[in-house]
Amino acid sequence: MATSVSASFQIRLSASSLISPHDLGHLTPNANATANGWRRSSHTAESYKFGRTVTTVQRSLRGPSVVSPMALATSRSQDTDDTYDDLFKKYGKVVYKNNDKKSPTAEVDDDAECLAFAVALAKIASDVKAADIKLLFVKPLVYWTRFFLIATAFSRPQIDAIRTRINDLAEKQYGKFATGDTKANSWTLLDFGDVVVHIFLPEQRDIYNLEEFYANATPIELPFKNEQRFSP
Amino acid sequence: MIQPQTHLNVADNSGAKELMCIRIIGASNRRYAHIGDVIVAVIKDAVPNMPLERSEVVRAVIVRTCKELKRDNGMIIRYDDNAAVVIDQEGNPKGTRVFGAIARELRQFNFTKIVSLAPEVL
Repeated sequence: MATSVSASFQIRLSASSLISPHDLGHLTPNANATANGWRRSSHTAESYKFGRTVTTVQRSLRGPSVVSPMALATSRSQDTDDTYDDLFKKYGKVVYKNNDKKSPTAEVDDDAECLAFAVALAKIASDVKAADIKLLFVKPLVYWTRFFLIATAFSRPQIDAIRTRINDLAEKQYGKFATGDTKANSWTLLDFGDVVVHIFLPEQRDIYNLEEFYANATPIELPFKNEQRFSP
Repeated sequence: MIQPQTHLNVADNSGAKELMCIRIIGASNRRYAHIGDVIVAVIKDAVPNMPLERSEVVRAVIVRTCKELKRDNGMIIRYDDNAAVVIDQEGNPKGTRVFGAIARELRQFNFTKIVSLAPEVL
């Protein structure tokens, strides 16, 4: 009992310490009334009640004196909006830019270089009688490569021939080395970084149907006569 | 951290739905497998009327792990599930499409075929 009373007394004190001198006039009648109630009370329930009244007083006092938090938050967000607006005005839409990005002209140059390389590879594939050769510009769709060269070969020895000739040309003329499959496979993939070559057997080409998966990519016209697949 | 007895989801349309790792391919007594490693697994659950059936033993490449994947630039990638793609002995995927996001590390491990079938590469 004694401990609970002392606790509630502390609450009253803390409440009065929070109040500004201007609001003190409101508090004193209420506080006196509750203090009287405490003197008369002998039950824990009443002391609990007393504690509660004090806290309500405190809350009602806080209402008018402390208004700021919400207002503060809104003003802060407005400030950040203003700073963003200023940054937009100064730099346009890009606020932060990484330095390792190439300039647009360098990008176009790289694209052209890769295109020349890919067309040379396609020409080699065409020389070894690969059919249905397609060159897709997939850079807008995937970030990890620029061109897909898709071709069909009709047997594993033919796949092997295409693979070795493409590898030889890339090594000798362009100094590029392929990762990927090292022997003929029903789906042979040669990864030159910016150009990825897929050589399929006809059955696998139908199964995986990469052209449909990359249907949004831009197909590139090849400068030679493309041998179409003969239908059985 | 995939070890024998770990159950994995299947991230392709091969017909398998759930795999259980039974062996990690690599060193002789390797404890854990991570993204890009090949495991031998048994199919615990499969879609009906598809070529792959329950209790068949297959090879699979791990494409997603709950264990974090750390990159040299400080990036850390952690997925919500453990997932694998079923491959054949030659390394071609048995499904024709891969589901969900996969990590670009697979390309360095010579699984560019899986990367080129994936809808999103992180």
